[in-house]
This record gives sequence, structure tokens and C-alpha cells, in this order.
Amino acid sequence: MNATLPTPEAASKAGGATAGRYETVVGLEVHAQLKTASKIFCGCSTKFGSRPNTQVCPVCLGLPGVLPVLNERAVRFAVMTGLSVGATIAQRSVFARKNYFYPDLPKGYQISQYDRPLCIGGGIDIHVGGVGKRIGLVRIHLEEDAGKSLHPEGREGVTTTLVDLNRTGVPLIEIVSEPEIRSEAEAYDYLMRLKQILVYLDVCDGNMEEGSLRCDANVSVRPKGQAAFGTKTEIKNLNSFRNVERAIAFETERQVGIVEAGGRVVQETLLWNADRGTAEPMRSKEEAHDYRYFPEPDLVTLDLDPAWIESVRSQLPELPYQVRERLTREFGIPDYDGEVLTETRALATYYEEVARRSGNAKLSSNWIMTEVNGIRNKQGQSIEEFPIRPDRLGALVKMIAEERISGKIGKQVFEMMLTRPEGPEELVKAQGLLPIDDEASLRALARAVIAGNPGPAAEVRAGKERTFAFLVGQAMKQSRGRAHPEKIQDALRKELEAS
Amino acid sequence: MTPGARADETAESIGREVASRKRSAVEVARSYLERADRSAKRLSTYLHRDAERTLADAASVDARIASGETLGPLAGVPIALKDNLCTRGIPTTCGSRILEGYLPPYDAHVVERLREAGAVFTGKTNCDEFAMGSSTENSAYFPTRNPWDLERVPGGSSGGSAATVAALEAPVALGSDTGGSVRQPAAFCGVFGLKPTYGAVSRYGLVAFASSLDQIGPFARTARDAALLYNAICGRDERDMTSRAEAVPVPLEEVERGVKGMKLGIPRDLIGEGVDPEILASLDRVAKALADEGAEVLDVTLPHARYSIATYYLIAPAEASSNLARYDGVRYGFRAKNETDLQGMYAATRGKGFGREVRRRILLGTYALSAGYYDAYYLRAMKVRTLIRKDFDEALARADAILLPTTPTPPFKIGEKVDDPLAMYLNDVFSVPASLAGAPALSFPAGMTRSALPIGLQLVGRPFDEAKLFRIARTWERRNPDALRVPPIAVGGGG
Amino acid sequence: MPIDAKVVHDVAALSRLRVDPSDEARFVTELKSILSYVEQLQALDVSGIEPTSQVGAGTVTPLREDQVKPCDVREEALAQAPDRDGDYFRVPQVV
Ligand SMILES: [Mg+2]
Ligand SMILES: [Zn+2]
Repeated sequence: MNATLPTPEAASKAGGATAGRYETVVGLEVHAQLKTASKIFCGCSTKFGSRPNTQVCPVCLGLPGVLPVLNERAVRFAVMTGLSVGATIAQRSVFARKNYFYPDLPKGYQISQYDRPLCIGGGIDIHVGGVGKRIGLVRIHLEEDAGKSLHPEGREGVTTTLVDLNRTGVPLIEIVSEPEIRSEAEAYDYLMRLKQILVYLDVCDGNMEEGSLRCDANVSVRPKGQAAFGTKTEIKNLNSFRNVERAIAFETERQVGIVEAGGRVVQETLLWNADRGTAEPMRSKEEAHDYRYFPEPDLVTLDLDPAWIESVRSQLPELPYQVRERLTREFGIPDYDGEVLTETRALATYYEEVARRSGNAKLSSNWIMTEVNGIRNKQGQSIEEFPIRPDRLGALVKMIAEERISGKIGKQVFEMMLTRPEGPEELVKAQGLLPIDDEASLRALARAVIAGNPGPAAEVRAGKERTFAFLVGQAMKQSRGRAHPEKIQDALRKELEAS
Repeated sequence: MTPGARADETAESIGREVASRKRSAVEVARSYLERADRSAKRLSTYLHRDAERTLADAASVDARIASGETLGPLAGVPIALKDNLCTRGIPTTCGSRILEGYLPPYDAHVVERLREAGAVFTGKTNCDEFAMGSSTENSAYFPTRNPWDLERVPGGSSGGSAATVAALEAPVALGSDTGGSVRQPAAFCGVFGLKPTYGAVSRYGLVAFASSLDQIGPFARTARDAALLYNAICGRDERDMTSRAEAVPVPLEEVERGVKGMKLGIPRDLIGEGVDPEILASLDRVAKALADEGAEVLDVTLPHARYSIATYYLIAPAEASSNLARYDGVRYGFRAKNETDLQGMYAATRGKGFGREVRRRILLGTYALSAGYYDAYYLRAMKVRTLIRKDFDEALARADAILLPTTPTPPFKIGEKVDDPLAMYLNDVFSVPASLAGAPALSFPAGMTRSALPIGLQLVGRPFDEAKLFRIARTWERRNPDALRVPPIAVGGGG
Repeated sequence: MPIDAKVVHDVAALSRLRVDPSDEARFVTELKSILSYVEQLQALDVSGIEPTSQVGAGTVTPLREDQVKPCDVREEALAQAPDRDGDYFRVPQVV
């Protein structure tokens, strides 16, 4: 959920399914719900999870006589996304009607874009197994979402269909990739990075569970080295990144199996069944799809002023790959650290402050990647919810960096900071955790240890050097790790001779 | 004098009398309700009337005036509405079974505007189903009759609105015009009918037939009344992205400015043969009269206009096939009973709910848009539409307005063309071109045939230049011996 | 492809219109005559001509500001439904 890198499983699978003589070819179509307050063509709220049919009006109910009025922010968000992936923004794009009958499609057509989309081209850079690669985009276009149909088992066993139109007219962008993805791991990484961009831009909340990010996969296989594509199938209903991976792996194996057996893959649409882990053919509509696209006459062409497009570009926030590049450059941390620390904008910002306050970039990175993320993943906490704010963590890392406390003590203090408001300085003092490194205290500690272990002390005096380590251990133990590791040894020697 | 509305009465005079409290809105409403009670049944002009509601509306207008509120020139003026204009809580069927009993939860933009202006609605007028037709015989309920000859059609699709104004059941009315549905019935019923520039009037609340062509327009018995009603409904509405701010009201003083120095183009190449000689004669008579008034009459050509019907009968049905997809029995209107699965419910609901003409156009439009035919039919039609627009741009660069007949013939007999769709379509040959061009077009009364049937001529102007059309029509009206003439049914007891 | 009973049947299916066989023949003749009439457009040279789908195309129209407008007509609108199940519209099962 909040991992940026492919899951270990995915990484291990990278090319796994196709390791043999076959190559899998994948193109992804992602539908992302835009975070606007109102719907794309009417003033109804886009809030998720409200009582059925409460966020509806004559327009989104498709009543006779109503007309669509385009939401400015929806256009802005789509353009922001296009600019962020290096797409060309069309100065004139055209909305079209996609005609088909379904109970949750009130007008009997979806207002979408067809031959003249808003964004053309661009691409997303992915990294799998240390290898970088750019996945090209065909297009990004604006369209309206449909409602929801439920198919409950009704009274006396007859299934009826219930329709909720709250979601009808929520703005979507459809992001269509080139068929340049070659493994489920690449698909996973592509989706992660796409989602990351959308969330950094704050145009989509990226929540796949609530359906604000939906993915269909076009999958085909071909013998390695063959130029021509094989017959593709489309897999729908992929409601999590994990399911996208699993579905592609499954479908690849299935198609390879068919081809190996000398059969032919049929072009069809499959529904992913997450429980069974299989993709099953969709009950195909009796008549072939013929969407009869034509320009939407209720909307004029969408003509964008180049100056406006530039103003949108100039207001773009820093994007994941830009932050990553900057952190590795400014703080000299490894690329891997950069990846992990830019998972979200908030985490990157958190790191920046810790690094600045501590004055040790790499040590800060280590502490966040291991300690902080360790706790967060256990608790399922976002960095915003994490109790230790960057100023306090920065102070702690600084103390360790300056060797005023050992890493071991640092961990103890960290644990305390999770539940207490004080800063590390106060805690260290209050808990008496400061290191013992002055001659007098060390000699006193040494005397106490010798007095407490006459036998071992005698052995050392008798020349049994191996036992000396035992005495050192005892000293560390009694001082709860605060004794200075080298200085305590001199103190012990001196006391052994003296007595 | 027979009871009910007077022949010399106009929306303008009513507005003046009500504003000056010489008459109350209720008195006015009552006189028109009386008139309608005597003729509406025989003419079948209305699909829905509610006298109580009309009188209540009138009473509230009187109250607003009494409270010192200053309303516009239409305060207290009875207005009839075509039944494809949405009226909150009032049946709106579009003359179709599929919307039988449907009560819209909102008012159309024009209805809202007229309510604010203090207009009083007489009812919802009959029309061809979803405005598809030229005779009002395609109403799923009953055909409307022509007040001048009850054996003949009033034209269509806004036949009810045209007939109700001609018969003095209402001083003015609203209709909608996609390929001539205001102008052709206005011509057949001897009244004024305007199709405004595309985008001049918000379509919000007008049940769509063909979105790129539909416009709401007024019916009136004088040019000034037509202007008054246009003024009340024109202009930008943020609920219709195709509505335009360039559409501004036309002051009545402007309407009176005459035609001196105006250039009037006549497209002889389009008019050609097959036009009724009496209509051609009236065209020459009017042209001459306007020349006498100082207009310069010249020839213009519209070389591609003769392809208009073919173009229109691809574009309009294509858009309609999509616009009418929402009538699926799911959220409102008629749903076929006893269908156990969704596809069956769809097919039966739409198969039973739509009449023949509507089903024919849905089939035609679906075919024209379907894979493999799009380029040959729909796309080609959209390109020819561009050529037709260019023709008008060029003609209207030379002339201030174009004068041509509204229809090739006077009103035809009920049942005469109903079984021959193509013949019916060809009746729109002179009205469709301006629709495709998006240009404003006004049909005005231009005399009567020897058999006492109305003749209508049409003026087409530059986009958003409705003013000149009113000026020209008003200039002729002053010289028209038949101005304000009313049909027999509106005179005397009318048994 | 010329209009025949099969085409009318397929187009009717695409349009979700039940056409009884008695009507089918009549639709075939009517559509044939209309389509043969519109054939005249094929004679025109339209190469290089931009299509007009909207006479308002290319006019700069203000977009809607992203603001939620509460709607007061929900009950009135849902009351129009031929069949309801509580808050939902109900339709026969999708097969
Ligand atoms: Mg889509
Ligand atoms: Zn809405």
C-alpha cells in the first residue's frame, strides 16, 4: 500500500513467467478519479460512500432536457497530469459520445473523448531490478464516470439489479500506455509511479479500494525475438496493484500454455476473480460492441489558451522523480534511499528536515528507512501520523552523529520518544543515559567490577587474558552500556595493577 | 363581439393594459381560457391544460403588480408552451407515450425567464412526437387541425403552438425549431414564427431532438410581439454551453426602423420549380413592397442548399438516436411490464413507447453512425453542412437578409403525406438550410391563397442579427392587407 | 451494404427497439427510399472540407467553476422511477 518498490515477490517474478522462450506484452488502461469537489458536468458532490442516489440532480440523472457544463478544475487536473508525464496538450480537443445501454449509464452514452484527446504521448520512467526504462503513453483523455449497479439475490430468488447514480459524472482521466510493458513487475512499477505522480499532483487520491484508481490490462504473448504482437485479451476488474501482477502472471501462463499446445488465443474480455486467482471470460453481450462515437453536440470544442497551459505548467508542484534527483544530489544519499524517501511528498519533506537538523544525511536516511518505516509499517501509519516529528528525530540523530550517545542508547531514546513529548536531550539527562568517560567515574566502575568478580580478576592477574573480555562485559553491563568502550579497558588494567 | 379574446389584441397591448392596471391578469387569462374552451377541443391544440393553475398564476401576477413590483412588458400575458419544454410538476410528454405521466422536477430556462417576467401559461401544446414531423400527425395522442381549414394540418412539429396563436387561444406561444418546426407551422397557420440564431436561446429544459440544430422560438400575430417574446428569452445561460452572450434583446424602436438601404437577397437557384405559383406570386409582391420601402433587392445563390434535406436527414436522426437513448424505462416514463430480463425490458419499453416516425429515425440515425457507415454518411453530412454554412456566409456578405418561401406549398390535407416519409421531409426544403447554417430565420404572414389558406415567407439573416429580420417583417406587415386577420373558427360563435 | 431485413434487425438490436416482423418490411422500404435519396451527397467533392458538428465550435465558452451546488429535486426526481427499492432504482436482472 505504501511501498514504492516492487514487492520482493514481484521482483523475483520479474520476467519470471516469461523467462522461457516467450515474452509477455502488456498495455495498461488506467482510469483515475479526479479530486474535484463537484462532478464533471454538474454541481453534484463527488464524495465517496454517501447514501445511494443522494448526490444526483437533473443533469447527472440524465433527465429530458438537461445539458452538460464542463468543470474547469477537471480540465486543469487533466492538463497538470499531461504536463507531468511530458505529454503534448492539445490546444483543441473534442468531447464525443460513446453510445451503449446500461442501467448505470443514465443518458445511454458516456461523454468521453475519442479522436481528439486532451493529452497526446508522453511517458513514465520505471525501474525494475536496477534497470531503468520509459513506458510510452498513447494518450490521456477526460471522461465521466458511470454509476454503480448492484446485483443482489432478491426475494424468491430472482435477481434484480439496483442502480445507484452517486458516482455518475465523477470526472475521470483515462491514461492509456503503449504496449511496452514486458512483465508483471514492470506493470506493478509503472502503476506505482503513475499513482505517485497523481498523488504528488494531488489530482487523485490513488485509492484503489474505493475505485478512485482502476486498471484494465491488455495482455498478449509472443516468442522472444518475434516482432509481430500476439492476439491480446483484455482483463478487467483489477482492483489492486497485487491483482494486476497476479492477473498478468496468470494470463501470461494461460496464453503460453495455449500457444505451446498449438492452439490460438481468442481476443476476448476477461474478468479477474481475485478469490480464485483466475481470469474468466465476461458474459459477452449478444451483439458486438459498436459504440457509434460522434462529437458531443451539447459541448463546444475544448479550446485552451497556450498562455493558460503555461500558467498551469508554471504552477506544477515538484514531482517524485524531481525530488528523488534533488535529494540524491543535495544530500549525496544512494538512489535506493532516494526511492524509499520519496514514496510520498510528506516523507520526503520529513527526511529533508531530519537531515538538515542532524547534519548527517545518510544516518538520517538509515534511521527513517529502518526505525521510522519499521514502526509505521507495523502500525499502518502515514508519516503525517507518526508521533516523532522531524525536529525531535533530527535532534536525536544529531546526538548519535556527534557520538554523544551510542546508536544503542539512541534506540532506547527513540522508543521513549514514541510515547513521550520530550526531546532526546531531556530524555537522555532524565534517564541518566549520558556516557561515562571521565577518569574518576571509570576507575570507580572498574574497582566495583573487580571487587564484584574476585575470581576472574585473579585469573587475569595470573595472565589468563581471555577472561579480561569478561570483566569488560561486566563493566558495560553494570553501566547499562554507558561506559566508554576503550577507556573502560584502560581503567580496568590500571585498577588490576593497582590492587 | 363574441366572448373571449379580441382579434386586435396583442401581447404588447395586453402587457400595457395589465401594467397600467386597466385590466387584471386574471381577466385576461379568463378571456383566453374561454376562447380556448370553445375551440381547443375541435383543433386539438393542447395536450395539457389546467385552468385553475393558469388563473392562479395570473392572480399571483396581479399580486406582484399590486405590491408595486415592476414586471416587464409580458406581465399578465398568456403564453402557450410546446410540450417539449420542461415545466416543473406539469406534465411534459413531447407528444410521446414514453413520457406519459412524466412530471419534470425542474423548469426549462425559458419557462423560468417567462415566470419571472410575469407571463401566464395557458398549457402545453400538441406536437409531433419528440418534435419529429411537419404536420403534428406524429403526436402519439391526436393530430392538431389547422384553424383556417380543419381538414388540413397546422404544420409541425410545433403545430399546437402555431394553431393556438392563430385561433386566438393565446396571444403568443413558444415552439422549438430543428429543421423548420417553428417556421413551417407559422406559415401554415398565418402567424409569425422565429427560429433564433443557434445559441441565442438557452436549450436548458428543451427536450433534445437534434442538439446541434434545436432552437426555441416564439409564435406571434405581430412582428413586435415576436420581438417582445424573443427579447424575454434570449441571451447567455451558464447551464447551456452552446448559448451565447452575443444574443441581445431588440428594442421595439429598432423594429420600426424600416428597410431603407437594406440589401435583400433572393436565392432563385434554390427556389427553382415545384413551388406553388401563389407562393411565388406573394414572394414577388413582398419583394416589390420592400423595394418601394427603400430596400435593394438582388439575387444571391446558395449552391449547396439543395443538399440540405439529405444532409439534415443524416445529421438530425444520428443525434436523435443518441439523445433518445435515455428513454430506457429505468428512471422515469413508461416501462413495459412483464419483462424478466433487462434487454427484454429495454426493447419492449422502447418498441412500444416510441411511435413509428421516432423509431424510423432512431433506426436511420443508428445506421448512419454505426461502424463502417460513419464516414460515408454522418461525417460526409457534417462536411456538406460546412459547405452550406459557407454559402450563407457568402450570400449574407452581399445581402443583409435572404428572402425565400417558408414552404413550397400551402397547408396540405391531414393524412395526405403521412404514409410517405420522404414527401413529408421534402416539405422542409426551404427551412432546413438556415437550420444547418445556424442562422436566424423568421417566417411571416405574406397573404392568403385564393382558397383562403395562409402563405408564409421566410427571412434568413446573419448570426445574432435578428433585429433586421424583425425590421423587414414589420415593414411588410404595415402594408399587409391581411394583418391581424383571424380564421373563421376564431370569429363568431364558431358552433 | 443495402438495407434489408437483416440490417434493420441488427440496427434495431443496437438501438434496443423491438420491431415486430409485420413492421420490419415497411421499415426496410422506408429506409431504402430515404437512403437512396441521401445518396446524392456521394456526388459532392468534400475533400479537404472541415466537418461542422456544432456551429458554435471554436467559440471560447467559460467553463464551470468547481463548486458543489446542492440540488433540491432528488425526491421529486426519484418519484418518477417506474420501480424503486428504497434509495435505489430497480430494473430486471442484467443477463
Ligand atoms: Mg474510459
Ligand atoms: Zn448532478
